[in-house]
Amino acid sequence: MRLSGYAVMTGSLFLSQAGIYCGGREYYIGHKMIRKYEGGADMLLGIDVGGTFTDAVIISKQEITAQAKVPTNHDDVLVSVLQALDRVLTDIDVSRLSRVVISSTIVTNALTEDRVEPVFLAVMTGPGMNVKGRFPVEPYYVSGYVDHRGKITAQIDWSRHRDLLQRKGSGSCAVSGKFAVREPQNEYQLKQELKKCGYQKIFLGSELSGELNFIRRTNSAYFAAAVYKVFDKFCQKVKLALAQRHIAVPVHILKADGGTLPLEAALNQPVEAVFTGPAASVLGIEALAAPELNSISLDVGGTTTDIAFWEQGLPLMAKKGALLKSYPTAVRSFHMRSIGIGGDSRITVTGDGYQVGPVREGPAAAVGGKTATLSDALIVAGYVNFGDEKKALQAVAAFGGEPKQEAEKIVQAAVKVITATISEMLAEWAKQPVYTVDDVIRGTEFVPQQLIGVGGGAQGLVAAVGKAMGLPVEIPAGAMVANAIGAALARPTLSAGLRADTTDGFYIIPESGKRQPLPRGFNMKKAETLLTQWLQQQAEKWQLPAQETELISSEHFRTIHGYYDTGDIYSLRMQLKPGILHKVHGREVEL
Amino acid sequence: MKDTLGLIFFPAFDWMISPTHPERQERLLYTRDQLEEEGLFDCEEIKEYRPRLAQINDLQRAHIGVPAISRLITPAHLASAGGCLTAADAVMRGEVKRAFALVRPPGHHAMRVVHGIRGFCTINIEAIMVEYLRSKYQVRRIAVVDTDVHHGDGSQDVFYHDPDTLYISFHQDGRTLYPGTGFPEEAGSPGAWGTNINLPLLPGTGDEGLHRLYDGLISHILEDFQPELIINSAGQDNHFSDPLASMAVTAQGYARLADKLQADIAVLEGGYSIESALPYVNTGIILAMAGMDYSKVVEPDLSMLRVQDKRCNQRVDQLIEQVGELYFNRQKTRQQLLEKCGGVWQRRKGIYYDEEGIREQQLETVRYCSCGGYFTIQTAAEGTRFGDQSAFIACIPRYACAKCRQQAHDEALREKKSGRWQYVFVQNIVDGFIETI
Repeated sequence: MRLSGYAVMTGSLFLSQAGIYCGGREYYIGHKMIRKYEGGADMLLGIDVGGTFTDAVIISKQEITAQAKVPTNHDDVLVSVLQALDRVLTDIDVSRLSRVVISSTIVTNALTEDRVEPVFLAVMTGPGMNVKGRFPVEPYYVSGYVDHRGKITAQIDWSRHRDLLQRKGSGSCAVSGKFAVREPQNEYQLKQELKKCGYQKIFLGSELSGELNFIRRTNSAYFAAAVYKVFDKFCQKVKLALAQRHIAVPVHILKADGGTLPLEAALNQPVEAVFTGPAASVLGIEALAAPELNSISLDVGGTTTDIAFWEQGLPLMAKKGALLKSYPTAVRSFHMRSIGIGGDSRITVTGDGYQVGPVREGPAAAVGGKTATLSDALIVAGYVNFGDEKKALQAVAAFGGEPKQEAEKIVQAAVKVITATISEMLAEWAKQPVYTVDDVIRGTEFVPQQLIGVGGGAQGLVAAVGKAMGLPVEIPAGAMVANAIGAALARPTLSAGLRADTTDGFYIIPESGKRQPLPRGFNMKKAETLLTQWLQQQAEKWQLPAQETELISSEHFRTIHGYYDTGDIYSLRMQLKPGILHKVHGREVEL
Repeated sequence: MKDTLGLIFFPAFDWMISPTHPERQERLLYTRDQLEEEGLFDCEEIKEYRPRLAQINDLQRAHIGVPAISRLITPAHLASAGGCLTAADAVMRGEVKRAFALVRPPGHHAMRVVHGIRGFCTINIEAIMVEYLRSKYQVRRIAVVDTDVHHGDGSQDVFYHDPDTLYISFHQDGRTLYPGTGFPEEAGSPGAWGTNINLPLLPGTGDEGLHRLYDGLISHILEDFQPELIINSAGQDNHFSDPLASMAVTAQGYARLADKLQADIAVLEGGYSIESALPYVNTGIILAMAGMDYSKVVEPDLSMLRVQDKRCNQRVDQLIEQVGELYFNRQKTRQQLLEKCGGVWQRRKGIYYDEEGIREQQLETVRYCSCGGYFTIQTAAEGTRFGDQSAFIACIPRYACAKCRQQAHDEALREKKSGRWQYVFVQNIVDGFIETI
């Protein structure tokens, strides 16, 4: 046993140092030894469904043990998942797997291609902004209101909603009330009645996010209901397929915030499984080269470049939820942007120069393509050196003028778009809410110290961006399957809030939906303990590995009525520490 | 740009006057919760800005602190004044159509000379913004409409000799509320007569009376004055639930007023019904200023709202007539007053700083010239945190001629030589530079 374990390590190390090209698209390392391995489950399997390829990777003890790449089947994402799975498992004993994580485009595609269910949306807006047009569908307005302190100031007046009570429903629907995160009773009542109408799955705004923002919670609930059927079907098929392959380990879905959730839990918040591709890319970078300095990473693919920010080795999360079909939601994601510029981008002549992308032209002329792409321009301008330089030169010469100069102009056109996007991201980051004098004095600007380039097109382009921004550039040895690595190593994420208003004697963890009487001698420390306990219970319930919790934010206010103290308001948010399980030291394997 | 509103939200959760004071950390907590829950910061009609820190010079265009303004303020004051400057920049650069500086600490009780805190205010953030707008963007005619329930005696003081600033304040009658001033006769010094408009309302005046006053008088005065910019000192304590005052205005009343006023920049002032009023009034004002539908902003509990007494409208009608006459005859009156005073006008003032128990005596002297002239302030204050202190201050207005500048300096030097004063200052309003003589 010892010997075989050693052999696996050697094999992996061999891969990571030299890289073995085995023909085709798979890499098999020391497979005979692996077969005989009888140790415990120590392998993580990650699958990432990308726009072009679906990658699968197996990681064992910080090494990439196997990887596979198959073309993505857009008509049936599951087919690609299973193909990649079967390839990567060719010589692996499935009993060694400890977890499977899938990052799929199933939810994103369902939304972009409008393959979603029509959703009945019932909202309790109470007084405030007119919400007409703020949701993807015209909602049904229900009476009843909860105020900012969590007091029910109006019960639902059912006599006004006889039509609702007589509704015949089926499938999923969404319910959301203003300030339901402070007091969810009205949402629960409405859910109860809608159940009687025949709806099977009812998504509540307060269950999808514990944070303030009625519009975002409502949209999250709406989109969750809209994609539920598609997502549920996908999950059932995955479960079945894995069972057929005798894989009985936990299956997790990657979320937009880079965390994972077991399938069953994900079904309660299917909308979180959107935009997992960019999230996986960020986690892949974290696994391969978590930058310690304040960095901006550029993952340059064939068609797009994903830009993310890094601080102290961790990617920065977006301050606000993601936009879905241009509607703001409560879906947490990384602070990142995707722009339509990549190595294979088409070059278009414009009135005053060139435009790069967003259309993909195909492979660069230097590697057998027909017309010049951004990669050819990078080669000719001297930023990078690969393929047939003469062919690149010929292709760029087709634009007229002196090819070297024109190539530089093309590169600068791309750089301009990228730096403009980075500027926007920097400005957006700096524009955080400012609640205290301290916030104003300290400032929240992100000052980048270096650029990190990963992905096939990174070499030349990121160097050009670094030159323009006056920043050093680091190109770590990335992997062609960074996204799948990211998925394999993603940690479960779980965050929750607690708000206690000692004047009314209760505390609420919105994510749990329960209002509980306050224990004696309540203070911030007790609040932290209560919330930690709840998070750990949840982690246990979903069989998540034990993880530390951390405080994200906390506030304490004394409440005064007519000059006298009446109590305290405590509010805090905590989470299981996010990030990846561990790093890997894999080296680039040329395809 | 359309109808975009720049919003500078700075609740100063770490600033208070004292733990149970109305100006405590909790004041904008529920407003923050309401605005976040409404999702207002996501609306494309609303653009969020971070407040910056104002510079000492920005403060000194409007103030002279004794012994120095920097020793009287906290960093929170620089942030709230800075929030107003950020609002001014956003509007003047054309990034947004209007702006609302929803910031604390407030400012409209702070006068030109500052010895300490009065009426929760140390520096006058609107006045600082007005002088900034003039120095940076060459705006001349500005109207400040003060919708706080208290008379903005600080703003009145700073603008009292300035004919280019139209200051209009409606408030609960000073005989029934702090600071006790704000009557129609306080209409400006002779050279600026009629540009300081005080409209004291009876307690219990509600939406009806308020809009009757706006439609019947304030709108006409604004139309006549033709300001380049309108600034709203957006106090919210006329609300029926305010614990410090006795008026009966609702969130709808405030929102409709904001809609009619179409202020270029609004600045939060008072408002201490932090739970029942501020979340709704602020939402209403923001929606109205952003050109959005505010008709659904209604307090959940209107049962505390009393019906307006008949006498409230009678007072309103009386003010429309009396103050209307005062304003529209102002040029004539101004001539008469200037002739009567013979080039030099003086007034004595007793000022009480409620927060710190400071008693100040001032003698203000305006010396007229065809350029507008200059003025001096003699101040003596007892019980400040620096003990008893006195100062002679010569203030040089923006358009003062070389001769007036020289005279102001000469006067300051003479006073210095007399040895009567602890401090002798010359304030240059245009750049906020204060010379210590």
